[in-house]
Amino acid sequence: MSHSPALAPQGEQAVPIIQIRNCLLVSIQIELHDRLALDLQAALMDRVRESGAKGVVLDVSGVEIIDSYITRILNDIGRSVRFMGAECYLVGVRPAVAMTLVEMGVELDALHTALNLDLALARLEPAG
Amino acid sequence: MAPMAPAASTLRTVESAIGAVLSGSISEITQRSIYRRLGALAQIAVEDLTEVDRRRVLSDLESSVRLFAKNGSTELMAACTRVLAGGSQVVPAPSGVPIGPKRLPIDAEKDIAAARLDAWSEAVRLGLSKFKSVKVATAVSELARNIVFYAGQGMIELRPRLDDGEPRLEIIARDSGPGIDAVKLQTIFAGTYRSDRGMGKGLAAVKKLTDEFAIETAPGRGTVVTCAFQGER
Repeated sequence: MSHSPALAPQGEQAVPIIQIRNCLLVSIQIELHDRLALDLQAALMDRVRESGAKGVVLDVSGVEIIDSYITRILNDIGRSVRFMGAECYLVGVRPAVAMTLVEMGVELDALHTALNLDLALARLEPAG
Repeated sequence: MAPMAPAASTLRTVESAIGAVLSGSISEITQRSIYRRLGALAQIAVEDLTEVDRRRVLSDLESSVRLFAKNGSTELMAACTRVLAGGSQVVPAPSGVPIGPKRLPIDAEKDIAAARLDAWSEAVRLGLSKFKSVKVATAVSELARNIVFYAGQGMIELRPRLDDGEPRLEIIARDSGPGIDAVKLQTIFAGTYRSDRGMGKGLAAVKKLTDEFAIETAPGRGTVVTCAFQGER
């Protein structure tokens, strides 16, 4: 299948949500524009409720630029996940992105962070 | 195809182009491991590299070069950037001469990502550091987003320069949208402004990221942001 997620037609779930044990994993690989971000947030909330997941992990290792708008989207997702009783981890922030966010004075107040997926899962599911 | 171009430069693979730059600074063995890491990309002709490939090669190279080159890694990266830019037409112009401005029309949300990418490759091509290039791309992302969200359409101009060999990238974002009044402008830069759609932190972020920043705006008169990134030494 050779479809480009960035060109996904309206209504198609362009950002896949994967369940690993008690956690939901979202790997963000494409440009999160307004509609896509809202779709993702809504889909994620549904999956949290259905699965009773304890945690959500947002993987941004494929995201080379995070600006204040994307930060707001990530924070909003983190906040809504928290309202549903789960914890949200942001993983894979690149060094240059982290430094840029610090310089911009942006805060990720609704998200935990971990270096990578492994470490996030370990914290969400201590001792297996 | 340029008939006068030497054969060596027209069919050069990424590996041989980079090899020519790195030999003498990085050992053969390390070079081989770098090419192995690049995989199929190492064997592509420089001319056939897409912009995305080129960026991937450069960002892969960057970490290796920083790690293994004892000194002058910045110069090495700048040289690699030049050879991968694919031909003599993009070799930086003499000192003080603009390399050529780029105008990016911003009309829709998709233009934000495109502008960001253009700004990034321009910064890398100019020889700005990896971190600085990410800052450039982030600032342009903010500026483009502001244009799309608040003005609907506008233009971002990238003006790369070399002043006495120092790279400098000037960015001008222009729109004829609603403009911003003085009171709102104050709250924006005080960091207390919150818009409905964004965090309202875009402009303040751009100001913090850039080395020089100026804004000209008034209600009904549109907005012009002029900012610049300076190469660090």
